[in-house]
Amino acid sequence: MEKELRQEAGKLLDDGTVDCIIGFAPGSLKFTTTPLIIEDVGELNNLIVNRFINNNLAKYLLEVTGRVGIIAKGCDSRSIVSLIQDKQITRQDIVILGIPCSGLIDLKKVEKLLAKERDEINDIVVVADKVSITAAGEKREVALSSVLFEHCLGCELQIPKEYDLLIQGPAAEICNYEVSRKHIKELKKMSPDQRWAYWREQFGHCIRCYACRQVCPACFCERCFVEESQPRWVSPVSQWQDNLIFQAIRNIHVAGRCTDCGECERVCPVNIPLRSLSKEMYDLVEEMFNYKTGMDVNAPSLMTAYELEEVEGLIR
Amino acid sequence: MRQKIGDQPRIVGFLCKWCSYAGADLAGTSRKKYPSNLTVLKVPCSGRIDPLFVLKGLRLGFDGVLVSGCHPGDCHYQTGNYRARRRIVITKKFLEYLGIPEERIQASWVSAAEGTKFARVVADVVENVRAIGPNNLFNNEG
Repeated sequence: MEKELRQEAGKLLDDGTVDCIIGFAPGSLKFTTTPLIIEDVGELNNLIVNRFINNNLAKYLLEVTGRVGIIAKGCDSRSIVSLIQDKQITRQDIVILGIPCSGLIDLKKVEKLLAKERDEINDIVVVADKVSITAAGEKREVALSSVLFEHCLGCELQIPKEYDLLIQGPAAEICNYEVSRKHIKELKKMSPDQRWAYWREQFGHCIRCYACRQVCPACFCERCFVEESQPRWVSPVSQWQDNLIFQAIRNIHVAGRCTDCGECERVCPVNIPLRSLSKEMYDLVEEMFNYKTGMDVNAPSLMTAYELEEVEGLIR
Repeated sequence: MRQKIGDQPRIVGFLCKWCSYAGADLAGTSRKKYPSNLTVLKVPCSGRIDPLFVLKGLRLGFDGVLVSGCHPGDCHYQTGNYRARRRIVITKKFLEYLGIPEERIQASWVSAAEGTKFARVVADVVENVRAIGPNNLFNNEG
């Protein structure tokens, strides 16, 4: 897949179809990758595809100019479509190089499973639905589903639907919707008071680094409401009340744009289970408006559209 | 946060300028009685109401929030209330998931001719919110 991708990317750069290619390069640590923007064919060797290509690259489309080629997993492609729907980018300026995805590996889960640190793990190889992990000389085989990100287990689009060029490859069956929603289900069993206490505790940890916002392709406001000072909606100081309001409003603002790519949760330095918020919003949107984000490039986006009669039961 | 003064529970109402605010006016001029727990804020259209307003109201210590605009089909700007509708129901449901009871956030369509309905809506909202008790959501001790 990698070879073919480099070839196609090279072609696009060579014939001047695109000015740059957005993809992934190896990261500075083991089992990480970092976003990469290539303008020169010589750099193509840095372009990689593996089980650690976490970032949702759609975010970078908002920052680069000119005609852009972008490597897109299913979830990325949905974010790209959503940005097109919201008229943040134009379809003609983008060449989508779709790649099939069989789920990304959550290194935190691997570390926990083996009770080993990143540096002690030598190799992680995926063979069909098993992962063989070599750590400290020992080899161990575990089920792939036990080390995948939870949002990958809830994936609804493993092969991009909107693309210009699809790199062929396998997309193994990985979904387990039950596991992917497990935490939300637990929370829903609680009383509202207990849930509030839970989130209150969680947002007590928040340091308001805004990593969740910065990494989110759906968060494209030029000026975020938390930075407005007239009026000042929330305190810029980290206190649980304002942290919670920030995240609640962020989720409401990206309703219908969130594709459950899980990036917010992955980047959170204090491990707040943010996906348990965004996934619930994602499901609410689908349940109430039968709307799936980023599936149809010609559909109007959720909050710009309406039906004459809907959800009236909730309004007195 | 803010000292609780006036009648309890305290409700903040975001009323659209064209319908609900005029409806509230009519309730007044036709001498309809309704509870004085409501603090009215006039907005140009229910479509102007950012979910942020709702949470900010609760953060400031209001016990309930009322959002009100023109009936579907009657928006002065054609589609503002349709969009408000999507936003407000999503907000209600999502905040319920966070642990804020749905009764704290209420929405109603009130036209400029519905003074009586406005009085009734306010009375209902106050009663509903009173039933679930004061808003201690954002208290540090709470």
